[in-house]
Amino acid sequence: MNVDAVQTALGTEHAALWTYGMVSAFLGNQAAAVAEGVTAHRARRDTTERWLRDQGATPAPPAAAYLPPSPVSDGPSALAALVAVEQDTCAAWRGVLERTDDPALRTSALESLTAAAVRATRWRKVAGATPASITMPGVASG
Amino acid sequence: MLLAVAAAPLAVACTTEPPAPPPPDPLSALAAQARTDAALARTLTTVPAASEIAKARETHAALLQAEVDRERPPLSSTAPPVPTTPPTPPDPVAALRTALDGAVREASAAVASLPSHRAGLVGSVAAGCASLREVLA
Repeated sequence: MNVDAVQTALGTEHAALWTYGMVSAFLGNQAAAVAEGVTAHRARRDTTERWLRDQGATPAPPAAAYLPPSPVSDGPSALAALVAVEQDTCAAWRGVLERTDDPALRTSALESLTAAAVRATRWRKVAGATPASITMPGVASG
Repeated sequence: MLLAVAAAPLAVACTTEPPAPPPPDPLSALAAQARTDAALARTLTTVPAASEIAKARETHAALLQAEVDRERPPLSSTAPPVPTTPPTPPDPVAALRTALDGAVREASAAVASLPSHRAGLVGSVAAGCASLREVLA
């Protein structure tokens, strides 16, 4: 059960890395923030793969490509794709929180959820969305 | 003699302590904190993000209180006390930052010891407060 939830979370980390790579061409003026997101997701991916291996599971590999909720063709659609993938990340890590009593995994899941929520908020601010905040990150309606 | 023997267990039964009241629900304190933050934000009309913060913290308070009431239904339908309007702090933005930092800290700390079905809810509240903090950044 734990392992399935963590595999799902790993899947969103793969998707996030792919998305950051794909949108970077449209967000030249946000290069530093994009790079920061890539670094954070890469670190989280590596930690998550390590955790899975320690449990005797095989980490799920990344897909060849991911489908953003809407086509990405310019700055605003690139920001929307980043917000969407960060929100998916929030939902996956919240899913881990709901399925584990392992304190270390819980701590890591909470950090991942919080960091993704902060990045989603940052991208919403850049996009000029109001409200920029997400009231309940990881919840479909929030 | 017979009477004394018969009475002995009764005496024991009578002196047994009544069961201690259950410890307060940790989510109660988080709900109260959310209500206090909302009340503070409501008064700080000069801060552009204040109404967004007030609304979000009211939602947090309602969700947390609903979970408290679900697990331990209240004896009467008394609503939780509404915090009194706090005095306007000299630096409203700093006051909101401090309140949200505290909210992130308290909710995050609570996640560690909660049963898993509550960890998701409180984790989202913690992340929601971090999101609000980012709006103020």
